[in-house]
Amino acid sequence: MLSNSEIVSVLEMLRNEHLDLRTVTLGLSLLDCASDDIKRFNDKIYDRITRKAEKLVMLCDLIGEKYGIPVVNKRVSVSPIAVAAAPFSSDQMVLVAQTLDRAARAVNVDFIGGFSALVEKGIAVGDQALIDALPQALAGTDRVCASINVATTRAGINMDAILLLARQIKAAAALSADRDGIACAKLCVFANIPQDIPFMAGAYLGVGVADAVINVGVSGPGVVKKAIDRAVETNPDLDLQQISELIKRTAYKVTRVGELIGREVADRLGVHFGVVDLSLAPTPNVGDSVGEIFQSLGLHSIGVPGSTAALALLNDAVKKGGAFASTNVGGLSGAFIPVSEDLNISEAVRNGYLSIEKLEAMTCVCSVGLDMVPIPGDTSDETLAAIMADEMAIGVINKKTTATRLIPVPGKKAGEHAYFGGLLGESIILAVNNAQGENRFVRRGGLIPSPIHSLTN
Amino acid sequence: MKKFIISVLGKDRPGIIAAVTRVFFEQEFNIEDVSQTILQAEFSGIFIVTGPDHCDPQGVCRALQTATDGFDMHFHVRLMDPNGSRWTTCACEHFIITTRGPDRKGLVAQITAILAAHNVNVTQLQAVFRGGDEPGRNIMIYEVDIPADIDQSQLNEVLKAKGRELNLEVNIQHKNIFEAINRI
Repeated sequence: MLSNSEIVSVLEMLRNEHLDLRTVTLGLSLLDCASDDIKRFNDKIYDRITRKAEKLVMLCDLIGEKYGIPVVNKRVSVSPIAVAAAPFSSDQMVLVAQTLDRAARAVNVDFIGGFSALVEKGIAVGDQALIDALPQALAGTDRVCASINVATTRAGINMDAILLLARQIKAAAALSADRDGIACAKLCVFANIPQDIPFMAGAYLGVGVADAVINVGVSGPGVVKKAIDRAVETNPDLDLQQISELIKRTAYKVTRVGELIGREVADRLGVHFGVVDLSLAPTPNVGDSVGEIFQSLGLHSIGVPGSTAALALLNDAVKKGGAFASTNVGGLSGAFIPVSEDLNISEAVRNGYLSIEKLEAMTCVCSVGLDMVPIPGDTSDETLAAIMADEMAIGVINKKTTATRLIPVPGKKAGEHAYFGGLLGESIILAVNNAQGENRFVRRGGLIPSPIHSLTN
Repeated sequence: MKKFIISVLGKDRPGIIAAVTRVFFEQEFNIEDVSQTILQAEFSGIFIVTGPDHCDPQGVCRALQTATDGFDMHFHVRLMDPNGSRWTTCACEHFIITTRGPDRKGLVAQITAILAAHNVNVTQLQAVFRGGDEPGRNIMIYEVDIPADIDQSQLNEVLKAKGRELNLEVNIQHKNIFEAINRI
């Protein structure tokens, strides 16, 4: 028999603390759709996606209703298109992106990820075509997300790819200038990309996994914040070890939701269950913010001194609690700090507490990286590439995933307002040091070698 | 062997269970099942016992009254069919229905009328009155068995519509979610 308090606590999490399942993502392999005929390839991938994902949204809604927990986003990720569509030109790659977009509409998912390439050690023909196609592919579609892995701890950092991507990001921003460069919000540049991320824009289905797999991303920053607030109200003298324990227990609960619903969706679809991604993913709503947790921990705002330590504590406690709650943990698994997608974090920028440098420091101890960061539109290609290289270095040296999702907002300067809308949110544009200056270091190109500790064999 | 179901009601105080179970012991009864709770200041207990064939409900009731003389207790003893089967329709799923909203007369009657009409069995009913100055925090919790072969979306819709009419927030959730979240 369940106790009153067990039932009421779950109701509170749902009612007042934004507990939901952030995303259920169906990963689909497209590798066996390979063809050198673009029409044939597009027909095959459209058929594969619409057939396999036909019931995804309906089942997620049904199972969400059964448990009274909404599945906020239903999404599809596919094999890296640079591999699956390697024979095609960049113009044809744009057609592939449009096909993915149509398929996503047909099955009613809001995003489809996997317009991706893995170029950490070099750029193959298919990779080059896909990267060349990025601006048009992203600006010309609504639902297609792209990711490019430019670095790994084992391979090093491909600086040529980074500079090339900086140019493509600027071009994508220019093509969507009327919407503050929103095309760039659908492109993540990674170091050490995981093969099973359920969250966008970084989701793709790795080449070492099954044909179809369900990966789940949990949420719950509001639940963690309220748990801390309640505990501190009862005992204002809680120390950080006690708070860490509290976050662990809360993360356990949140993760169990993802595990239960994800497994049931996978069973009903007849596909493998992959992983639960233990990430605290915010939305631009009050009470559903990672930034607010910093204030509950006792900081004036995210970004002030102490923020990196607080984030380290938070990230570690979420992983420990979540790992115990799930049989398969993967993806990014950590707290997200996406600037425009988190109301409190964008407020911290507005109030001058958070700079791009502090954000970069914080990414040393959490997942993702410089995420949804609007920067001045006139930031040079070289400076943009240099920011990405810095972030990749953090991932490569620390053997962790890092990424950038930078948006050079066309025609706008630091301090002006960028608006993306919906889950992508809005923010003040952050200032960039030496935004237009030259950068000979980046221009040298080549590969930054892998670190000595990659020699583990 | 005979099987009895015995209900025990009265003002709570120390010694009730001791007195009742002493009678069971003296009459060579074996307790098969028991559920006991205290509502406000009232004791309530239900015992299912087996005992010798010569016992009858009236005799058991008299013995219990004598043993609790001065406690102002009420007993009801009934003979059970030892082979009696449970109420069942078909395969059921276990759900928790909660209603939250201002207290008023007839809430439970109107919700359970809908459940009864859909052949939904209530297995546990609890009230959590945490309202105080906030009547909106009054919660009723119904643990129910919902037959697998009914149209659950329709049931959910009817319950939620009744909730709107009664100014209640109604949630219908599979029991597994509460167990998954709260228990290791």
